[in-house]
Amino acid sequence: MDNKIRILIVDDHQLVIKGILCSLKEVGDFDVVTTNNCDAAFNLIKADINSNPFQLLFTDLSFDNITDQSILQGGEELIKAIIHDEIDIKIGVITGHTETNRVYNVISNLKPNSYLLKSKCNATEIGFAIQKMLVGEYYYTHEIHQKIMYRNIVKIQMDDIAIQILKALPNHAKISNLEGIIKKNDGTRIKLRSIEAKLANLRTDLNANNNTDLILKVKELGIID
Amino acid sequence: MNLGGNNLEKLLISSKPLKKESKYKFYKKTKFFGFLQTIILFFLVSFSVFSQEKGFDNNIDSIAFFINNAKGTYKFSYLKRAVLLSEELKIDSLIKQTSIEFAKQSYFIKDTLGLTFSINKLLKHFQLKKDSFSLAKAYHLEALNHKIKNNLDSSFYYYHKSKNVSIALKDSIEIGRRLLSMADLQVKELDFLGCEITTIEGLKYIEPIKKHRTLISLYQSLGNALGYLKKPKEARGYYIKAMEIYKFNPVKDRREKNYLTLLSNIGMTFKDEGNFKKATSLFKEGLNSDSLEMKHPKQYQTLLGNLSSIYFIQGKTEKAIEGYKIVLNSRIKTKNLYSQSVSHSFLAEAYLKNKKYSLAKKHANKGLELGKKTRNNKQVLDCLKFLSQLTKGETAKKYLEDYIKLNDSLFNRERNLKNQFAKVRYETEKKDKENAGLKQENERHELQIKTEKQYKIIGWLAAGVSFLVIVFGVNIASSRRKKILFEAQLQQVEVREKERQQIAKSLHDEVAGDIRMLRLKLAKTNQLEDAKKLDVINENVRNLSHQLSSESFNQVSFKDQIINLISEYFETSFRIKVEEIDSVDWVKINNSIKRTLFLTIRESIQNAKKYAEASVLILSFNETKKAIVLIISDNGKGFDLKVKKNGIGLKNLKERVEEISGVFSIESEIEKGTKTTIEISKNG
Repeated sequence: MDNKIRILIVDDHQLVIKGILCSLKEVGDFDVVTTNNCDAAFNLIKADINSNPFQLLFTDLSFDNITDQSILQGGEELIKAIIHDEIDIKIGVITGHTETNRVYNVISNLKPNSYLLKSKCNATEIGFAIQKMLVGEYYYTHEIHQKIMYRNIVKIQMDDIAIQILKALPNHAKISNLEGIIKKNDGTRIKLRSIEAKLANLRTDLNANNNTDLILKVKELGIID
Repeated sequence: MNLGGNNLEKLLISSKPLKKESKYKFYKKTKFFGFLQTIILFFLVSFSVFSQEKGFDNNIDSIAFFINNAKGTYKFSYLKRAVLLSEELKIDSLIKQTSIEFAKQSYFIKDTLGLTFSINKLLKHFQLKKDSFSLAKAYHLEALNHKIKNNLDSSFYYYHKSKNVSIALKDSIEIGRRLLSMADLQVKELDFLGCEITTIEGLKYIEPIKKHRTLISLYQSLGNALGYLKKPKEARGYYIKAMEIYKFNPVKDRREKNYLTLLSNIGMTFKDEGNFKKATSLFKEGLNSDSLEMKHPKQYQTLLGNLSSIYFIQGKTEKAIEGYKIVLNSRIKTKNLYSQSVSHSFLAEAYLKNKKYSLAKKHANKGLELGKKTRNNKQVLDCLKFLSQLTKGETAKKYLEDYIKLNDSLFNRERNLKNQFAKVRYETEKKDKENAGLKQENERHELQIKTEKQYKIIGWLAAGVSFLVIVFGVNIASSRRKKILFEAQLQQVEVREKERQQIAKSLHDEVAGDIRMLRLKLAKTNQLEDAKKLDVINENVRNLSHQLSSESFNQVSFKDQIINLISEYFETSFRIKVEEIDSVDWVKINNSIKRTLFLTIRESIQNAKKYAEASVLILSFNETKKAIVLIISDNGKGFDLKVKKNGIGLKNLKERVEEISGVFSIESEIEKGTKTTIEISKNG
């Protein structure tokens, strides 16, 4: 049997598919199948699941050729269906959608392994994405990565307790000292466990390695003065 | 000035009309004089008022003085002046107090006029103030008055009346005291059974309140009555009860007297039972008290008399006579004629037994004389009996006749009085019953009125409730209509929103798609300039499409939407702050409201960034009971509201807000930023 990596590409625009195919050729030798609608894509994945399964899927989010007969109404639904059926396939999104709303929803709910933009999709990008996807890691193109980062910053800025913790943290040697200092709007104290959980979330949101790194990043980003 | 001075003196004597008159006269004088005199006048008037007040205090003081110093010869004049003064001052409590004090003293010297005077004052006070205590006291004094006059049945009657008033007042002490006085009267008239009943009733009132002095007296009276009724054992029971509490009597002198009297009385019960040994020892114990004759001559006399009478019964006549003689001498010293007659009578009996007839006759005569004088009927009878035995023939017969006559009359009188007492009691009881009947009728009547009233109230309540129900119903109906209208409006908004979504979709999919195709064609034919222009158009169309469409709020929470929106505009030179977004429970807010808020925020951010060149924008949320308030303020250039009417973006926003019955207002001044306030009602 063929040892080539099998990739499925779904996009309603033939030009886009051609562009991706060109880039893929530069990256390596793959067994690539293409289709222009989600229902067909899902059927292909299901059909080959036992004999010759796809390892990777690249899909757009919105499709112009959706009719009332279509079962899957776009890229999001296709990804959902795959997740629902617990099919072992790594998913990448190649789309023109850059609105934070959509980006955030797709990334936080569907957790694709990569998110690329059509406008910047070249061989380097795709190659990088495929490398990461195959080992189960994540790759978001720079613009998307930045959007998510901005969003996290905005979220932290709106979170009064997070701001309190970040402001108080440099003044205390131990995290346990923060207990009793951090208070909710109504004056109730925040427990140590909640403070630690919050700090952990902040570290992931801002890609910080530890609390010191976190404080540095927070200051750098202008979240606190 | 002189004339003015005279007038002033008149004024000092006081009265207001005079003041006017004198003032009138002043005005006829020169102005200067008038002015001076007015000042003096004012001064003097105020002084006189002051001194009057002082006089008032003085009077009260003098009343106290009169009461406190009412001793010796001035006692009565002082007390009477105190009564009159307090009457003058019209201080009711003082009138009452002084009258009672005066009456008390009057009673001690048996002055019936003084008593009557006090009675009248108290009755007047009762009529004025409806103070039933005064009435009870007036009846009490009336009873004392009759007691002095020896009208025992009338006295009993008034005691009874006084007691009934006190019962109405629930004044247990007064009730007990009156009953005690009544019992004393009954003993005097030898109505021992009645006395027993009365004292037992008195105990009912006094025992619970532990008024020891009255209680001791009641026990003693009851004991005495039982003793006379030949129930020595039961009598002793009550004496012993008294013995148990005599030590609570706070006055030492009285305490000792109580003790001695009780000893004597208990001794007598033993004597009546024939237990002479025990009786003798008790009497002797009493007599052994320290300097008894000096301190308590009366008790001394009784104890010694009782002891002697035991000797007499035991046949030790000489010893008895010796004792009786000492008692008699002591009684002569204390000028107690009533008791002297008793001693004489005993001596006569003893001498008669010893056959010393002349001495016996002498004492019998003396006893008879004193007995008659002091209405000591028992001794009179005894002495008459002795004399009839001591004399012979006609004289003896005469004494015997006297004896029988007196005995009969006493018997009749006693019976009459007993009947009288019984009648008083019976009549009041009957009256009580009648009163109770009337009371019942009254109550029934009142109940009827009450039920009628209740029906009326129920009627009113029912009317009120039905009125409220109607109002409530109307209210609900109107609010429901309002709600339906509001929902219809929201639905309209929803429909419009769908339309917008469709337009956005077709813009994105069809127009943008066509432009993309066109651009590709141009690029193929190397018309790169035009292709770039098309790129710009394409970008604009995409933006337009994004603006028109907005994610459904069902899937993404409002807060996340706002975060997404703000991060879209993230820039270090343009800060967007959000305040109190968590103070609103967004899940419960209608989607149309959320969408309107979202679009308003987006428009405001764009305006602040593009036109106002602001560096900070603040979104402040607040939820009240009925509405959601959003205040958007920036620190940008601002604009003059009069010059620049709302642009198309603002106009659209205003329309959107007003579509769902919200209030949209905008404040701005050049160089002072812009503040937009949106208030949207949560449910119409």
